[in-house]
Amino acid sequence: MPKKRLLLFLFIILSIGLMTYQSNKGYLHPLKFLNNALNSLHGVVNSVTDSVTSPFKRMLLREQENVRLKAELNKLLREQQEYHEALRENKRLRELLSLKEKEQKFVTAARIISRSADFWSNTFVLDKGYHDRVEKDMTAITHNGLAGKISDVSHSYSSLLLLTDINFSVSVRLQESRREGIISGTGYRKCQLKYIPYDEEVTVGDIVITSGLDALFPKGIPVGYVSRVDKKSTGLFRYIEVLPFVDTTKIEEVAIIKR
Amino acid sequence: MRYLLWATIIPLIFIIQGRVSLFDVAPNFISVVAYYAGIRGEKVYGTLLGSLIGAVQDSLSGAFLGPNLLSKGLVGYFSSFMSGGFFRWTPLLSVIGISVLTFFDGTVVFLSRSIFERMPVSIGAALFIVTLQSLINAPLGILLKPRAIQQGSEGQK
Repeated sequence: MPKKRLLLFLFIILSIGLMTYQSNKGYLHPLKFLNNALNSLHGVVNSVTDSVTSPFKRMLLREQENVRLKAELNKLLREQQEYHEALRENKRLRELLSLKEKEQKFVTAARIISRSADFWSNTFVLDKGYHDRVEKDMTAITHNGLAGKISDVSHSYSSLLLLTDINFSVSVRLQESRREGIISGTGYRKCQLKYIPYDEEVTVGDIVITSGLDALFPKGIPVGYVSRVDKKSTGLFRYIEVLPFVDTTKIEEVAIIKR
Repeated sequence: MRYLLWATIIPLIFIIQGRVSLFDVAPNFISVVAYYAGIRGEKVYGTLLGSLIGAVQDSLSGAFLGPNLLSKGLVGYFSSFMSGGFFRWTPLLSVIGISVLTFFDGTVVFLSRSIFERMPVSIGAALFIVTLQSLINAPLGILLKPRAIQQGSEGQK
């Protein structure tokens, strides 16, 4: 047997013998002192590691805290917005309620759920229809004044044609002078007051209300105020622009009334 | 100088081994040291250094002296075959060799403990542990070259 293999054989025998001895007589720990040395080394490594990593850990903790605080701030801001939204909704609904109590011809209150699919028409979709006793040509008002009329009705939905739409017209009266005229939509924000003669004195700020003469709209609903009077134009009638009281960009709910 | 290097590396390996784990399994880097001792030296040197490392590990583990002494000694002995005595060293052979010897090391320790003390873990868990340790050590086989190979590649440069 070669010398090295013999050595290996002896090594194995010695190892097994050592283990057998220990299993009978108890453990031998000739190098136990190394354990303390290694533990001390672990301690040193730990303290070095801690001193290196602790600034990063602190940074990480601050970062985490920052993220948490930002999330909390966002949550609070969202809650605040929700609270303000609820307050505004409450105000609007109160106004609508007061309108309901005031108006004898109240049919229902409707919420605007969308704009019309037609980009060019000033039409909104309401969440009330036949089912809620809404009928075509009924008047839609807000606490500010006239909003428009119902142009189309289905079972649960209806279309509101705004007074700014080019297809909308209503018989009106100047509140002070009691002069009658017709208001038509221009398609964008303002309306035009037609058929006011040249000799009629009209000033900016005059209030326009419905006259009730067109058999569609009840009498006395505020429509808007005169925002511009063109005195230089020629012809039989004045060119008068009326700004509606109802801001169609902010409208959310309407009350529907019958004539 | 060489012994000073060993004296520095071995405690460092023990420290690293005690601080990292993968799937709750501590790596067996110390087996790599025994393997390295075998491929760098010859059989007797590998066996002696391996068994010394094993004895240190046994002492540090707090269990009885012998299992690691035997296993690391055997790893040192068998790894010396990789240095050209029996096999011709290639990176792939080294990867396989280090994996097999790590597996062998773990198996010898497990069997020794099971026979002379009591089974430390179930056989399934032991198999998982030694397999994972073998896989962890496998890439190191590419880096650890026998002295002759290293000198040859340095000479070519």
